Amino acid sequence: MGEKVFMQGNEAFAESAIRSGCKFFFGYPITPSSEMPEYYAKKAPEEGLTFIQAETEVAAFNMIAGVAATGKRGMTATSGPGFSLGCEAMSYMSAASLPSVVVDVMRPGPADGEILGSQGDYFQLTKGGGHGDYRTIVLAPYSVQEYADFAPLAFELAEKYLNPVVVASDGTLAKMMENVVLPERTSGPERQPWAVDGAKGRPHNDITTCGDGPEQWEAFNLRLQAKYQNIRDNEQRWEEYQTEDADVIIVAFGVYSRVAMAAMKMAREKGLKVGLIRPITLWPFPVKAFENLENKDFFVTELNSGQMVEDVKLAVKDKDRVEFYGRLGGMIPTPVELFNKLCELYMK
Amino acid sequence: MKSEIIFSGIGGQGTILMGKMVCTAASKKGLNVTLSPAYGQEKRGGRASCQVVISEEMGSPIISEADTILVMDEKSFDDYEGKVKAGGTLIVNSSMINKKPNRTDIKVMEIPFTEIATEVATARSANMVALGAVVKTLHIVDLDDAKAVVAAKMKPALVEANIKALEAGYHFDER
Amino acid sequence: MSIVYKRPEVFTDEYMKYCGGCGHGIINKVIGELIEENNWQEKAVFVWPIGCSVYADKYFKVDSICALHGRAPAVATGVKRATPENLVISYQGDGDLVSEGMSEIMHSAIRGEKFTVVFVNNAIYGMTGGQMAPTTLMGQHTTTSPYGRAEEFTGHPVNMAEIIAGIPGCYYSERVTVNTPGNIRKMKAAIKKAFEYQMEGKGLTFVEVVSPCPTGWNMKPVKALEWLSESVISTYPLGVFKDLGKEEK
Repeated sequence: MGEKVFMQGNEAFAESAIRSGCKFFFGYPITPSSEMPEYYAKKAPEEGLTFIQAETEVAAFNMIAGVAATGKRGMTATSGPGFSLGCEAMSYMSAASLPSVVVDVMRPGPADGEILGSQGDYFQLTKGGGHGDYRTIVLAPYSVQEYADFAPLAFELAEKYLNPVVVASDGTLAKMMENVVLPERTSGPERQPWAVDGAKGRPHNDITTCGDGPEQWEAFNLRLQAKYQNIRDNEQRWEEYQTEDADVIIVAFGVYSRVAMAAMKMAREKGLKVGLIRPITLWPFPVKAFENLENKDFFVTELNSGQMVEDVKLAVKDKDRVEFYGRLGGMIPTPVELFNKLCELYMK
Repeated sequence: MKSEIIFSGIGGQGTILMGKMVCTAASKKGLNVTLSPAYGQEKRGGRASCQVVISEEMGSPIISEADTILVMDEKSFDDYEGKVKAGGTLIVNSSMINKKPNRTDIKVMEIPFTEIATEVATARSANMVALGAVVKTLHIVDLDDAKAVVAAKMKPALVEANIKALEAGYHFDER
Repeated sequence: MSIVYKRPEVFTDEYMKYCGGCGHGIINKVIGELIEENNWQEKAVFVWPIGCSVYADKYFKVDSICALHGRAPAVATGVKRATPENLVISYQGDGDLVSEGMSEIMHSAIRGEKFTVVFVNNAIYGMTGGQMAPTTLMGQHTTTSPYGRAEEFTGHPVNMAEIIAGIPGCYYSERVTVNTPGNIRKMKAAIKKAFEYQMEGKGLTFVEVVSPCPTGWNMKPVKALEWLSESVISTYPLGVFKDLGKEEK
C-alpha cells in the first residue's frame, strides 16, 4: 500500500493513469475536466509523456484511437459538449474494437449549460450517444479513491474486451479533494498481437470499420453483440447497503450516492428500513443486483430528469413500485432534502 | 464523530488554504476528509469558499448545514448565517464585517482577524488567526497539529509569523 | 531473361475495386513499389479514409487502419506519436481532406506531424456518387451542382498543396498527377521524397495527386484524361510548393 495523498479528483485520476502506463493524453480544455490535460502537460517532461492539446474533441478522440490502434495506452478527458463531439469516434472505436479510455466529467446540459455536477449524460454514455449498435463499458466512481482506482481498471477492462471504456465522473467529484492511495506503477501491456504497429515479425493487421455487404456486416455486428453479452454476463458491478431487511431501496450512482447514503442513515436512525444500491458499472447496468429483491419499493434519485430510472424499471419485478426524484442544472439535493423526500413518499 | 465546516470569503483571503490545512491536519489523525471548493457561478464576483467534511466513515460531500462556518467578508456573512446548524458556531471576521447576526440559536464569535494579525505578526497573516479560531472550535485537531501543518506548508521565512498568528487566533477567547 | 515489370509483392491477391480509368490504382501501385523497394513492409502503417480507397486495406500486406471521414490525420497523429519509428501514411481524398477533415489536416500541419499525406484530388466525391467537392472546378457539373459550380453558393476551388506549404509545420509539399507515364514517374519521385523525409523525422510531408474520376465526371477514361490535362491542371498547377530539404542542402 502506498502513502495517502490529499488530491483533487481530476488530478488523482490523471496521476493514476500515468502510473498505469498511459503515456498518451490528447485533450481539449473544457470545465470541469481541464485539470487532467493540465496535469499531463505539466508531468510530460519528467514522466516521458506525450501530451497534445488537440484542435477539437473530434480530433482528440481520433488521436486516442490512433494510439489505441498501436496497442499502447492513451486517454482523453472531456465534459458534456466535448463528449458529444467525441461520440462519432466512440462509435468508431467500438466498431474498431480499440481499447481506449475516456473520462466524461459530466456537467449540466443541454448545450453549453452549466459547469457544476450533473448526471445528465447517463443516456448518452450508456445507450450509445453515437450512431449504430454499440456499447461502451461505463464506470461511475463515488470517491476520489475510486476515481483513481478506476484508471488502471478502465485500461484493464478495455484491453480485456477490446472495447472503449468511459469513466463517468462529474463536476463535484472532479473538483473535490480527498485522501487517496495511488496505484503502484505498471507499464501497460506488451506488444498486442492485433495492433497496427508495423507488421514486424508477423502477418499484417488491418483494422477496418467499413462494411463489405450486408451479410458480412451483420456477421461483424453479431460478433460485437456477442462481446457485449459477455460483458453483461461478467462485468456488472455494484455495491449494496442494508438491502436485505429494507422496505425501500434507494438507487443512486456516482458521488451523489454519498448524499443518498447520508439520507439512508438518517432514515435508519428514525427507524425506517431503507437500503441502498449503488451501480458502479452504468453499462452493463447491474440488473443482477435487483434479482432477488422481492416486495420492495425502489427510490431512484439522480442529478437529471430521470435516466437511470428506466434501467431500474427494466431490472425490477414491479415497475410501479419505482419512484424517482432528481434535480437539474447543477443543483444537488442535500441529505436532509433527500430524507424529507423519502418521508413524503413512504411515510404516508 | 463528524464535523462539517464552511470557509467563505473573497479571493486572496486564503479560505481554500485554510480548508486544505484543516484537512491535512485531520487526515494525519486517520480521519476521512473531503474538501469541495465552490466554483462556477459561486466563483464569479470573487467568491472563494470551500466546504470540508471530516468524519470517521466517508461522508456526503454535500451537506445540509454546517457545524462551523467561517465568514471572512460581508457577502459570505449574508449567504451563510442561515446555514449554521442550531448549536453550531459562526466565526465572523469583524475586521471586515460590521453586521450583527440575527440568529440566537448559534454561538457567534466575532474576531478582528486583521487587527490581531497586525498586532502579533503582519496583516497578511489574518487567515492564520482565523485558522486558529476554527481549530479551537472544531475539537478535532489540536494546536500542535495545526502548527505542524503550517510549518510544512509555508515558506520557512513565513513560518514563525504565521504560527504566532495561529496561536493568537487559537487563544482569542482567553483574551 | 530478367523481370522488367511485376506486380508488387506487397500487394495481396485481392481484386481491386476501382473503376476503369481511375487514378487510385496507379497511386496504390506506386506506393506499393516504394514500400517494397525500400523494405518498409514491416514499418508502413496506412490510415485509409472513407472514400473510394476505403477497401485498400485489403490490397496491401502492411498494417492499416480505416479512419472515419476526414479524421485520418488525427488517427495518423496518434499512430505516429505512439510508434515514431514507423512510416505512417494518411491516404485521403478531396471530400475527406478538404471538406470534412479540413480542421484535422490543417492542425496536423500546424503541429508539424511527422507523417505523410497522400492527397488524391479528383475534384469530386467519387464513392458517394459524383457530388460536388470543395475542389470541384468552377462551372463543373456534379449531382449537387447540376447547373455548374457557382461562386455565389460555393466559392472557389481550394488549392491544398499551396495552403499546406504556407504552414511552418509543413516540410514538403508538391502537386503531381497521373496523366502520362512521365508524370507518373514524377509522382513516384515525389512520394518517395516524402517518405524519405518522414523516415528522417522531418515535419509534415504532403503530396497532392491530381487524379481522374471518369465515373464521377461522367466521361470515358480517355476523355477524362484529356479533361484533366486541359482543365483540371490549370486550376491545380503541378509543382513543388515547399521543400525544406532542398533549401537545407
